[in-house]
Amino acid sequence: MPIEQMENETLLSAILENLPGTIEKIRARRDSFLTDAVLLGEIPSPTYGEEERIRAVMDRFRENGLHLPLVDEFGNASAQLPGTEGQSSILVMAHADSVFSSEVRHEIQVGSDFMTGPGIADNALGLAAMISLPKILSDLNITLRDNLILVANVKSLGRANLEGAHGFLETMSLPAKAGICIEGSTLGRLSYSGLGTLRGEITLQVPSDYDWQRFGAAGAISHLTGLVNQIREIPIPKEPKTRLVFGGLKCGSSYNTLPRQGSLRFEITSEEDELIGQMENHLNEICEQFSAETGTRVSMEVVAKRKNCEIPFTHPLVRTTRSIMQEANITPKVDPSTGDLNALILGGLPAVTLGLTTVENLREINETVQLEPLYGGMAQVISLIQAIDQGICES
Amino acid sequence: MSNKEENWLERNTFHHGTFWDLIKLVEEKEKKGLKISLCIPTLNEEKTIGKEVLILRSELMERYPLVDEFAVIDSGSKDKTLEVAKSYGADVYLASDILPEVGDKRGKGENLWKAIHQLKGDIICYVDADISNIHPRFVYGLVAPLIHRDEITYVKAFYDRPLNYSSGLRPSGGGRVTEILIRPLFSLFYPELSNVVQPLSGEYAARREVLEQIPFPIGYGVETSHLLDLYEKYGLETFAQTDLDRRVHRNQTTNALGKMSFGILQTFFNRLHAQGKLDRMPDLETFYRRFEVEDGNYHQLIQEVVEEERPPMIEIEGYRNRSHAS
Repeated sequence: MPIEQMENETLLSAILENLPGTIEKIRARRDSFLTDAVLLGEIPSPTYGEEERIRAVMDRFRENGLHLPLVDEFGNASAQLPGTEGQSSILVMAHADSVFSSEVRHEIQVGSDFMTGPGIADNALGLAAMISLPKILSDLNITLRDNLILVANVKSLGRANLEGAHGFLETMSLPAKAGICIEGSTLGRLSYSGLGTLRGEITLQVPSDYDWQRFGAAGAISHLTGLVNQIREIPIPKEPKTRLVFGGLKCGSSYNTLPRQGSLRFEITSEEDELIGQMENHLNEICEQFSAETGTRVSMEVVAKRKNCEIPFTHPLVRTTRSIMQEANITPKVDPSTGDLNALILGGLPAVTLGLTTVENLREINETVQLEPLYGGMAQVISLIQAIDQGICES
Repeated sequence: MSNKEENWLERNTFHHGTFWDLIKLVEEKEKKGLKISLCIPTLNEEKTIGKEVLILRSELMERYPLVDEFAVIDSGSKDKTLEVAKSYGADVYLASDILPEVGDKRGKGENLWKAIHQLKGDIICYVDADISNIHPRFVYGLVAPLIHRDEITYVKAFYDRPLNYSSGLRPSGGGRVTEILIRPLFSLFYPELSNVVQPLSGEYAARREVLEQIPFPIGYGVETSHLLDLYEKYGLETFAQTDLDRRVHRNQTTNALGKMSFGILQTFFNRLHAQGKLDRMPDLETFYRRFEVEDGNYHQLIQEVVEEERPPMIEIEGYRNRSHAS
């Protein structure tokens, strides 16, 4: 075994040895971290409307004495915990936006072993974990040689197409040697690849001069149903793994009025970028043909597109993460990401996404996180930061 | 409005945002050698108590040491209120275990009154347990005027938007009982007190030396009696009020508000009697009557609501002995 590898294994063993103690110390110091999750989670933060939550994040960065707290031109909040040497940096990101609109009552209920409320798992908890890192590191007497760059990134979900994360990485002044994305959901999640994704919206309109006497004349709902059936005829291969999901359908306003307009949201994910391109072309053709044959106006808009990317399963960052999870009794579940991780890996940064705890009713109003698994979830993040800091995760 | 009242409104009405710098506030508290106790009275509040204890302890005891003591005083909850409060580190007491020699009465006022004996602070801050949008401002907004201004002894919360002095508009943001019952009564009998925007708000902070001097109704009248008794003893100048912005809590049924108003009226007229504001008053009924409609027929429901009171704490032997012992 090469000397360097032996040294790394010794360093990792020391980190793993401390893991049970780290979990207990985090459990004993949970209050400020849980408080942040509640206070941040109760501020509505829909994608493109994250300003108020970002202000609260900035307050915390300042209160925690971090260096260079800044809201960049994209709206991301970032700050630094300087390392003792500061030769390199570790990037930790958590997205600040939520799928819930401002009209939803953002109220978090706190029980003795759970928290419930819209967006608590995705991603108020992840955001609070990121913010609390400097305090937890300090409480655990852990000093880092590397700078720790903390980012609450905006415009991550849905139509935003990772705009905040891409923007931050493009303008980041300090190069980082590795990145961690933190998500509240779900403990055991291990993402080290970004899945090729296309998200789109098909809009169908019945024009004002539509001939209601023609054969097959119908309202927008019937037409959209026909369109869905045609799309479902597109052959989807098992290998490379590919999936087409219809995620939303908006149409109609009453019981007895034929609607004239409707829209359909979908997502294609595939391990093969070329296949996504082919399916996009196929969808465009279907829309064009459907429009011509039915006398309706059908258009397709691509709202988000991501390429496949990954670091190898054998990359030291992934290998070390698996060792840490094993020591923390966390069963890894390899789960390709369609989120911020894509931006990091495509930006050339080895990175993983980790989940913090077990979650029920994800993305529902009664989203619930369990507290007991959370301490192990936090400990894995702390241990991984230590490992990156000590140079164990470099290829 | 008199100049005196205008001055009072201007000098003694605050917004919590004024006190955002908690480091400075803690420094000032320590300079003055003040100890602050926080009390949450509870009865079956498992849905909201966890968040209140978590956030207030974490922010105001651990992050900024503004509060020295944090107690939940419970009236005998049947749900998990005590378990949840304990799990987040609150000191939890049963009201019945405090000063057992004076007996046990069931009501929020009992818990507030016994807190004076149980807690050690120079300032006691009371916060209701049913606030679903709890935030540290609910405490620091109330104790800050007491820390900064020695002449202020009692600070009351109010909610919604700040007063608009220049236009003369003063939206109260008060609840139905405030608007329909309390404000007309204050306007008739204690016009100066009608400047208190939300006389019934359940959040207030006060100095021990005034709390120990006044009786505590056990039930609905406790907030009203505080205002009337302290006003009678010390006048408007020692009061202050703080705008805490928005407060989200359970909505009460109209029937519950009727019962509440009945209790408050007992407290109110007792004060009018004691202060000689009415020459001759009949003995007050303790039966609250209301109507219920069933199939178009009205039925009268009669419910007994007795507003019992505790004497001033200073008259309690156990309390005086405790004071000497410490």
